[in-house]
Amino acid sequence: MKFGNLIIAGITTGSIYAMFAVCVAVWYRVSNILNLAVGDFAMVGALGVDNLYRVKGLPLPAAIITTLAVVAVFAYLYDQVVLRIAQDGRRPIEGIVVTFFFTFALSFFIDGVAKVLFGTDVHAAPTLWSGPSLTLGSLNFERSGLLVLACALIIGGAFWLYIKFTLGGKALEASGENSVGARIVGIDTRQYRRLIFVGTAVIAAVFGIVESPITGFTYLSGATISLTGFIAAAYGGFRKPGRALVAGLSIGVLEALLGGYVSAEYGDTVLYAILAAAILAWPRALGFESAVSG
Amino acid sequence: MNQFLAASSRAFQWSSAVASSRAARRVPRGGVPSVIVLVVGAIIVLNYGLLYTGSVFVLSACYAIVTAGMAVQIGFSQQIAFSQSVFFGVGAYGVAMLNTHAGLSVLLGTVIMVVAAALVALLLGSVVTRASGLALAVATLMLPLIAVGYVSGTGFLGGPVGAPLSGTLWPGSGSTTLIALGGGLIVVVLLAAVVFIASRILSSDIGLELFVLGVDERTAAALGVRTPRRKLELFVLGCGFAALGGAVYAGTQQFVPETAIDPTTELALLIMLFIGGRRSVFGAVVGALVIQYLQGASNWVSVNILIVEGLLLTVVLLVDPEGLSGIAATAIAWLRRKSALGAAGGEPAADAQAPGAGPGVPDELAGLSLSSVLADRRPAEGAARAAGPGDATLLEVRGVFKEYGGLSVLHDVSLTLPERGLFGLCGPNGAGKSTLLNVIGGSVAPSSGAVILSGTDITRWPPNVRFYQGISRTFQAVHLIKGRTVLDNVAVACLASHTASIVTRIGRSRLDDARAKAARTLADLGMAHLAGREVSSLTLEMQRMVELARALAPSPRLLLLDEPASGLSEEQRQRLAALLTTIADRTCVLLVEHDLTLVAQVSERIFVLSGGHLVFDGGPADFRSSPVVNSLLVGS
Repeated sequence: MKFGNLIIAGITTGSIYAMFAVCVAVWYRVSNILNLAVGDFAMVGALGVDNLYRVKGLPLPAAIITTLAVVAVFAYLYDQVVLRIAQDGRRPIEGIVVTFFFTFALSFFIDGVAKVLFGTDVHAAPTLWSGPSLTLGSLNFERSGLLVLACALIIGGAFWLYIKFTLGGKALEASGENSVGARIVGIDTRQYRRLIFVGTAVIAAVFGIVESPITGFTYLSGATISLTGFIAAAYGGFRKPGRALVAGLSIGVLEALLGGYVSAEYGDTVLYAILAAAILAWPRALGFESAVSG
Repeated sequence: MNQFLAASSRAFQWSSAVASSRAARRVPRGGVPSVIVLVVGAIIVLNYGLLYTGSVFVLSACYAIVTAGMAVQIGFSQQIAFSQSVFFGVGAYGVAMLNTHAGLSVLLGTVIMVVAAALVALLLGSVVTRASGLALAVATLMLPLIAVGYVSGTGFLGGPVGAPLSGTLWPGSGSTTLIALGGGLIVVVLLAAVVFIASRILSSDIGLELFVLGVDERTAAALGVRTPRRKLELFVLGCGFAALGGAVYAGTQQFVPETAIDPTTELALLIMLFIGGRRSVFGAVVGALVIQYLQGASNWVSVNILIVEGLLLTVVLLVDPEGLSGIAATAIAWLRRKSALGAAGGEPAADAQAPGAGPGVPDELAGLSLSSVLADRRPAEGAARAAGPGDATLLEVRGVFKEYGGLSVLHDVSLTLPERGLFGLCGPNGAGKSTLLNVIGGSVAPSSGAVILSGTDITRWPPNVRFYQGISRTFQAVHLIKGRTVLDNVAVACLASHTASIVTRIGRSRLDDARAKAARTLADLGMAHLAGREVSSLTLEMQRMVELARALAPSPRLLLLDEPASGLSEEQRQRLAALLTTIADRTCVLLVEHDLTLVAQVSERIFVLSGGHLVFDGGPADFRSSPVVNSLLVGS
């Protein structure tokens, strides 16, 4: 059952990609900014919990809550200071500078601070659900993997319910469709930019905590995670969280299959080549045209 | 980019350029920044070449060669391609391999690798530059990811260990002093040459094309820019400069680490570019210097370099999105104003003019003479037109259908237009008017049917070729190029550079010719006083007039106007009507308009579209009395 186990592994990593992709896509809808620091929040979540629990000796729940609170407060302050000056000032900054480079700088800043606080070694948050892997016939389920999947389902589902059934969700969708129009009908798009930024930062940190026992993190891991989230969001057309989710899962499964059947060493290289080819062959179907013009 | 060809043609063209524009400029374009780079660079290398500071400077100059190319490609033309680190690696590893395994000198290896990289970039670019905007960014983002996987996986390139070189950039042997100083000077000379080439391209007529391309690709195509070719040229230029930077990096460092090719190099280069100022070649060089200096500072700054870079980038971009060069430009402008104020005895000289120009505008627009605009046609077309009778068919739209998915937007639309006259195109919202205009202009391909211009089937021609054949248009929403003056906005349509290669503009620029023609058009329209204004400071009427001037400037055979009167007052509409009538004496105008009074007043024939069908085709008298038109457009 190599195939089945590869699919399980693929769905597990794919759900991680998918969640980060959704975080990137949802915030891009409301802010027109690509969050290239989303992975760095995940890294801070994992290494922060590890540091507080293992080094400082805090109880695990306290360590998790403290870390998430710090992430939320930092994200809030960043929005209030930097993004407010950049987007809400007399002379709002437009184009690629604001789309890419403020969060890009933020990513560098967070990594630098993490290096000072957590050092350069590989660490991980403690496993929340330890024990031997569960088996079902010849299929193996790692407990950490199941936890990741459960988190993805719970957070993704809650998010979907919020968008679908609450006024806030509708307003959020409206801000994404047409920011100026949304502002005209009385929706404070800035408030949603802040809300979603803080929210996705915390979600990213949660995922960092549950994911880190599988992979292990250093202060530089954030960039790789942001990259996968960015790529998956790209294949979802940047503005469509639903498609970003599917893209993230597909990339995860494809990566696992390539690693298992083609080459463990060059699997990623082949994956990236396939992704590049896909984008060149079907830019419109993948939603790039609308992302560019709108 | 073929450097040899460029160099030889430059030598020839430079002399002719200097001879022909001796009155216009004392200093050749691009001369100032490249001389500053050359002199300052040489002084630093000669004074500090043997010290740590000198080696940091030479390293930063290697990166500056790359960022200067990025300023042209990514900053100025907004073609975001993450291909620099890969080609930096290609140059660096290539030189290392040629030196170690083939025994070639570093200098010869550099030449070979730059040419090879340009050829590879040409092949790769002809595939990836089909993508635009974010698609291009994401597709090229895969390149460093693929490359780093390959390098760490193969032993041939040294893998994670890296590749050492025995040779040095300075050819021949000598003392260590000579090798270090000579190598440093070669890098400085190459950097000055790169800055010279990049500055000259940006300040030429093709530089203006690239600016428009960066603002909006579709507008650029409608104005005649061969966008696929320009994008490919930019890609090759960026990759060629990156390979050159990588090659001299290998030659001066005598070692290529694995990190040379990995995405962190790409990120570092982007930070240098955006801190320095993305649109400025000189700024990009300064950015490389600043970042390398901070990284090499060997104190708390270089230990916490990520925090410093993150903070610096955030603060600089918040102060000015154009980076350090933008801040410097603002400061210089402020100092100039300050000194001008001092000279004028405290009288605000610049402000006194602006209010005066405003109220004068409407009056000057009233008196229009278009004689010289329309007389100044391209000779070949003028001859062809003179031979034919005045009411020969210019444009024929034959059985055009257009469907988006299952939605039919145009259904069997056929119409013919003669060589001159004014023709109205009306219809309710969503009737397909703009789509028909796009089909004629070439930005939308019909599902079936044909568009024929003077007997030639142009259905498959791209918009830029149609523009060149005399189809000129305005847009429903004003598509002017923000950040440029009125003169430059009109000059875009007068460029004669569409068939030229970027390389030729290292030699002679023809921007002055285009600006002169644009100035004549503006003068004919009574808008000469607006020439120096930045377009976003204009009123809507003025912006529409600028767009009309831009459409008229190339003396088109067919002028497509998409709702030019929307948002204008009654008085402004009457002025526009008078102007359109004058234009229509000499050329064919197809006017899409909601204002039925205006259409009936100026048009000699009117077409009405409804739900994609052509439901009316007749003169203004029939138009007024037609029950179909009345029920559709006047209201039932």
